[in-house]
Amino acid sequence: MHVVRKVTDDLYWVGANDRRLELFENIHPIPNGVSYNSYLLLDNRTVLFDTVDWRVCRQFLDNIAGVLGGRPLDYIVINHMEPDHAASMGEVLIRYPEARIITTEKAVMHMRQFGFEVDGRYEEVAEGDTRSFGAHKVVFIAAPMVHWPEAMVTFDTTDGVLFSADAFGSFGSLDGRLFNDEVDFDRDWLGEARRYLTNIVGKYGPHIQLLLRKASNVPVKVVCPLHGPVWRSNLEYFIDKYDKWSRYEAECDGVAIIYASMYGNTESAAFALAARLADKGLRDIAVHDVSNTHVSYLVSETFRVSHIVLASVTYNLGVHPLMQNYLTSLRSLNLQNRTFALIENGTWTCRSGDIMTKFIEEDLRNMRILKERLTINSSMNDENLPALEAMADSLLHSIRQLAETKK
Amino acid sequence: MFFSTADKHEAIRARAREFAEAEIRPSAPAFDRDSIFPDGLVKKLGGLGWMGMPYPEEYGGAGLDALSYAIAVEELSRIDGGVGAIFSTHVSLASWPIFAYGTEAQKRKYLVPLASGRELGAFGLAEHDAGHDAASIAATAIAGDGCYILNGEKRFVANAGQAGIYIVFAATALGVGADGISAFIVEKGWEGFTFSEHYDKLGARSSPTATLIFNDVRIPKGNLLGHEGGGFEIARGALDGGRIAAAAQALGIAQGAFDSALTHSKACVQSGSPICFRPAVSFRLADMATKLRCARLMAYSAAELRDGGRPHSMEAAMAKQYASDMCLEVVNEALQIHGGTGYVRGADIDRAYRDAKICTIYEGSDEVQRHIIASHLIGIAPTGDLADGGRPSALTGLRKRIVLKNGTVEERAHALVKNLAAEGHDFTIGIDIDTPISQAERVVSVGKGIGTRSNMPLISALAIQAGAAIGSTRPVSETMKYLPLNRYIGMTGQKFNGSLYIACGISGAGQHLKGAKGASTIVAIDIDPAAPIFKNCDYGIIGDIRDVLPALTAALDNGMPKRPAPPVQRPAAPVQRPTAATPTWRRYICSGCGYEYNPAAGDPDGFVRPATSFDAVPEEWICPECGEEKATFIEA
Repeated sequence: MHVVRKVTDDLYWVGANDRRLELFENIHPIPNGVSYNSYLLLDNRTVLFDTVDWRVCRQFLDNIAGVLGGRPLDYIVINHMEPDHAASMGEVLIRYPEARIITTEKAVMHMRQFGFEVDGRYEEVAEGDTRSFGAHKVVFIAAPMVHWPEAMVTFDTTDGVLFSADAFGSFGSLDGRLFNDEVDFDRDWLGEARRYLTNIVGKYGPHIQLLLRKASNVPVKVVCPLHGPVWRSNLEYFIDKYDKWSRYEAECDGVAIIYASMYGNTESAAFALAARLADKGLRDIAVHDVSNTHVSYLVSETFRVSHIVLASVTYNLGVHPLMQNYLTSLRSLNLQNRTFALIENGTWTCRSGDIMTKFIEEDLRNMRILKERLTINSSMNDENLPALEAMADSLLHSIRQLAETKK
Repeated sequence: MFFSTADKHEAIRARAREFAEAEIRPSAPAFDRDSIFPDGLVKKLGGLGWMGMPYPEEYGGAGLDALSYAIAVEELSRIDGGVGAIFSTHVSLASWPIFAYGTEAQKRKYLVPLASGRELGAFGLAEHDAGHDAASIAATAIAGDGCYILNGEKRFVANAGQAGIYIVFAATALGVGADGISAFIVEKGWEGFTFSEHYDKLGARSSPTATLIFNDVRIPKGNLLGHEGGGFEIARGALDGGRIAAAAQALGIAQGAFDSALTHSKACVQSGSPICFRPAVSFRLADMATKLRCARLMAYSAAELRDGGRPHSMEAAMAKQYASDMCLEVVNEALQIHGGTGYVRGADIDRAYRDAKICTIYEGSDEVQRHIIASHLIGIAPTGDLADGGRPSALTGLRKRIVLKNGTVEERAHALVKNLAAEGHDFTIGIDIDTPISQAERVVSVGKGIGTRSNMPLISALAIQAGAAIGSTRPVSETMKYLPLNRYIGMTGQKFNGSLYIACGISGAGQHLKGAKGASTIVAIDIDPAAPIFKNCDYGIIGDIRDVLPALTAALDNGMPKRPAPPVQRPAAPVQRPTAATPTWRRYICSGCGYEYNPAAGDPDGFVRPATSFDAVPEEWICPECGEEKATFIEA
């Protein structure tokens, strides 16, 4: 039984949703599922844009057959070879022996590595090449490292549809809806879109910027990503988000307190600070426990806010292992331009503040650390209150300064 | 432009040569043999008005150009390299900083006697651990009451002892490298300013060279040259000008050796004809003359650029480097032409041979000159990601470590209070001695050296007069129980981050010092001169605390109750510390894999040396991770 949606008069969404998958990339939890988008164009020639993950291949094959209605499949455009989009390609090639692949040179190399039989069935294209399928003429635009090196995006010059590969995607099952104007994006999707982009492609900010510059040169009306909703309105909203994320600029001036606590003492300090910040009028405050929050959420949160307070126990003369894991992720994902404040705790030797400082200074880029540090010996007491107060004041001062520089 | 000197320059040369031949040549062997400073000669040069040759007549100078000056150095050095060194040190290194950076009063007081030859000048920059790297200077000049207190040593100082006026570089701010170096005018004879024995040098022996030793020398504030922290710029400017004179000096030594070799080769007859006609000798002479002409044109050209107000830092470095290398080659060949006669002491050529070597070493070695030239060609190598080597420092960070030693205990206590007041500690105000440590701006802290509990009133009395809270080391509160647990300062206790920490009877265990390292000023009072606390303090008094504490309490007591201190506003202005400075070079990312090229590291496997900017990476270079071509990289 095929389940499809119409994107434009002759373009169909033929993808599928997956709510049974626990971990995307076997790393990131996806409690709301994920969609694998594929699109089928019915012109003089029939053209399939990318395929789907093997997990949803049966649904996908039904969808293609349903839309084709007995017509042959002429072309398969592969924008991105990562298996969550290309794993079903082999099955499509078998079922539609006339179909020819249009893709990049590197993608062909990847196809061979993944074991697809493509000899004699592909046409290589490069930046600026065009193809006409009848009424529709498309141009191919290289998109290296968004988020693999072989990636390209395809722009339909006839109706302004951009097949954007991994760019502009989001975690989350579509659940019947397809377009951004059919969902409450800010409420239900923005967090998952941020978590998807920052954790999956965050490292490649400069390459996203390059793609944004290229895309700004073509009149895009509809964006068809490989995950999440299709964008047919308010494009500038999402482009602005992408611009900020890829330039490593915070979306809002707020504080995220990220703590690692073994017995609740460091946690108590985190809440004490959060309460003082709230007392002083700050509203955008978030508190996260590294031990029960998947690091992908912490990374996403760190991309969102301007100020991060790290609170960690000293553990084996280092920082808490899960705090270290989070810090390492920030380095891997190239996050920059944030302000940190540090809370350290130790019972016999308090080292976590110095270690976090060293990591931030040496392993991260363009970060700032507030001078005010809160040092706790085992648990907060009255002696710590001035330092707590100073940290709260300093954070608010820094946030105000940031707001003023933006004016 | 005929690449020739003007008549006025040749007139200077003629006078200088006449002077040198008549006044220096006869005595030069004796000056050299016995390391005699040619006092009379210097006075005569002053009489000619040449000791201030390039400076305006209104300041006692001769108002001549840099080229005239270079020629004079060349001609004096042609006869005696040591005299050339005395002269150029005086003019370029000692006088120029006052001419360029001095106030009108400083010029009147110091430049006039220097330029008119009444006083000789010297220049103290180098130290044991700071040669070219002026940022590592360890001598300190700490601002006190109307003066700076200078401590430290300066070595390899030419004209040391003979000079009356010294330009001395010392750190006025610690921990900020070159930005903390300041220049001072110091007079011979000031209390605490002494000299080492003169070095027994290989060459340039008529130029007296020694170490300057400063021990609590008081320099009036008015003798700061330029502004605080401006010393590095002054030193660099003086050395830029000094390089042309250094090139001229090498040129002169070489010219003298060449002239001597030419004369000898014509006079020395072997196998029936003068040796100058043998190709082995004539070719040598030809090469020597060629090198001399080359060095001369470079030195004069640099002087001409300076006279024209044009940039000349690189050209002066080139001239100095080439002339000094050339000088060694020429004196070597000249001695070879002399044969055995040249190897005997007292022949002028043996002196030139020894004098020559200093040219590749002083005023920036040949290596330093090449470094300067290269930096003009390719800029400063990116170093952001390279380890900075780190500087050793005390557990409490960089401290002044001034231990007050002179006078009675009362006098030392008063001196300490005066120093503290000069730093801005106001002892008319105070806080309750029971103020929590975390909120106290000042703490009087007590260690095991306090002895019996009966001595504790000494601490409270001092705390009251110092306007401070009482703190302690861990044993005093936890073991001896003189004070509650919330009073102890240390790694496991509280950290003190206020302005003044007075440690009484605290030897300075690392645990404790780490808790006090946030203090702006640390004062140490202990009976053991070897106690680590004295290496970690700004001021120290060595003595029995039963004597020192009452004296200090009395010195702090102004007879009035302390006014309440305003509540601590911390942070007054929140300070953000930026993390690793944004690199000045651009980073590039591979479009084939996301690999980021780091200029600091280069790609040694791909034959790209560290400190190679991406632009300079060869076009045929490929990404070390994925083999993608250089052209596909994009800027980060």
